[in-house]
Amino acid sequence: MRARAFVIASAASAAALIAGWQLGNAVTGAGTTVAASGTQPATSSASSGTDASSSTSSGSAGSSGTTSASAAPTTDSTTEQAGAADGTYAGTTVSTRFGDVQVQVTISGGSITDVTALQLTDHDGRSVSISNRAAPILRDEVLQAQTASVSMVSGATYTSAAYLQSLQAALDAAGF
Amino acid sequence: MAFLLHDARGLERRSRELVAPERRRASRRLWRVDLLQAAAVATVAIAVALFLADGGAAGFADPAGAVTEVGIIAGLVATDLVLVMLVLAARVPFIERAVGQDAAMALHRRLGKPVLLLLLAHAVLLVAGYALTDGSGLVDEVVSLWNTPDIPLAVAGLALFLAVVVTSLVAVRRRFRYEVWHGIHLLVYLAVLAALPHQFSLGGLFAEGTWQRWYWLLMTITAFAAIAVFRLGVPAYRSLRHRLVVEEVEPIADGIVSIRLRGVALDRLGATGGQFFVWRFLARGQWWQAHPYSLSAAPRGGELRITVRALGRGSAGVAAIRPGTRVALEGPYGIFSEASRSRSRLVLVAAGIGVTPVRSLLESASFRPGEAIVLLRTRAADEGWLLDEVRQLCHARGATLITIPGRRGTGWLSEAAEQQGLSLAAFVPAIADSDVYVCGPLGWSEAVVAEARSAGLRPEQVHHERFDW
Repeated sequence: MRARAFVIASAASAAALIAGWQLGNAVTGAGTTVAASGTQPATSSASSGTDASSSTSSGSAGSSGTTSASAAPTTDSTTEQAGAADGTYAGTTVSTRFGDVQVQVTISGGSITDVTALQLTDHDGRSVSISNRAAPILRDEVLQAQTASVSMVSGATYTSAAYLQSLQAALDAAGF
Repeated sequence: MAFLLHDARGLERRSRELVAPERRRASRRLWRVDLLQAAAVATVAIAVALFLADGGAAGFADPAGAVTEVGIIAGLVATDLVLVMLVLAARVPFIERAVGQDAAMALHRRLGKPVLLLLLAHAVLLVAGYALTDGSGLVDEVVSLWNTPDIPLAVAGLALFLAVVVTSLVAVRRRFRYEVWHGIHLLVYLAVLAALPHQFSLGGLFAEGTWQRWYWLLMTITAFAAIAVFRLGVPAYRSLRHRLVVEEVEPIADGIVSIRLRGVALDRLGATGGQFFVWRFLARGQWWQAHPYSLSAAPRGGELRITVRALGRGSAGVAAIRPGTRVALEGPYGIFSEASRSRSRLVLVAAGIGVTPVRSLLESASFRPGEAIVLLRTRAADEGWLLDEVRQLCHARGATLITIPGRRGTGWLSEAAEQQGLSLAAFVPAIADSDVYVCGPLGWSEAVVAEARSAGLRPEQVHHERFDW
């Protein structure tokens, strides 16, 4: 390789790597940005206060998922007008090529207090380990951001997408 | 000893141009070479950069994650290099004109083993990384992975790739006929296709909705399209269009034949002296063999000519080809031609049947009387293949012709010439300001190239054509 080729190759490679690195940092940073703005709807939502049964869940935005169950509130709902009613809401079941995913969200005092996975990708051992790794990360992100719009877990794209889609359906059902 | 068959050295006159046009042409070509090399390296960097852009660096936080991430990077770099190898083997005209097919294929060959090692590292590191993350044993992890969709297919692809690389190792490759080796080599397309599904279904980076997915999809399609167009489409089109037919088979010595071929609109091929085609004689028992032969005369009118020695297992049958046989062709290939000139002075050095491209290059190269010297390693002073034709051309164009006959010495010269202390510089006083074209057996050529380089010639002044595959 000639010196000029070496210089051009090094410059181009360095530029690509630095750009990639910066974009990577932006992606990791994006999670916190979402978290900051994600808290706003929870506090300022002047919701209609109607019960979750009126809003039919739609597994929107899902490219790989199919909606197979609709959400239903399982416990009591207080008559608080502002924000979502307290209770536990199950999301829709989202099918992926690695198995079905369904999550359940607990809302208390107008905020998300817990997310439990009812079902996770379990098509095979690898899927189980991937989803077991991804679920706690996603749960923490959601509890912190108070929204289903959080970044996906890398290496667990299918699980993440299905998890967040099911969660969104549950939140819709809750009127959150 | 060496014999001066025609002396034109006294004819040289000072050039009126300050900068030879050959130098400008070489400068443009070398820019293309540098940019191509840089682009090849940059694609590796882009593969890693795309990984980083997806937040990949975050995975290095813990040891298990780091092992996994290194495994993923190994897979990404290997994927990129496989695509680079496909493009190198695709005979893309831009690459072909810049570096020539043999240089492109030399790089292709050098990448084979590193890519295989990267692929194996990818498999091993990911199993290890996943096992560490899950806290399970390696065997359990392998079983678990095997039950993951698309993984068995990817493993089959890896096995095919292993077979392709192992059969291409020099020691192993010699045991096969070219056609058998090539048949195994074509399995690489299956290997790449078998590996694709797991990249797009399991690789987080290739996930739906990411622009990385589009990049990799585009790269893969580009590489396969280049192969389809330039290795299948263009040769098929040219073979059909130019309707090449064997006109005459003329034995010129024991085991040597000149074959004249006639066709339609051959000037549209853009072939020039010193280049080669891959020929396929469409006769019974011959059609499945492809032969790379250099032109032994500059293309003229509706005619091409090659001169062939019964060298390989396939060439023996070529002597028996009958006039009227239809011929399919791929090419023209190679920059053992005017395309790679960098100086106005020209030195052509050939041994044995290596005289063929030198003969046609001598015919079509641009030089003024006195600027060219032809050195031929021959059996006798006045006896060599195509020697009469070369002598006539030297007379007509004002080139000096020197033959070096006799038994082989330790280097590229004959024993007698070595004892006299002759050398490239002794034959060609202005060697440092010349282009040197070398064609002959591999070891012999390397000796000439080494002497030229030690005489102070820059790499772009030394041109060397390989015979072997």
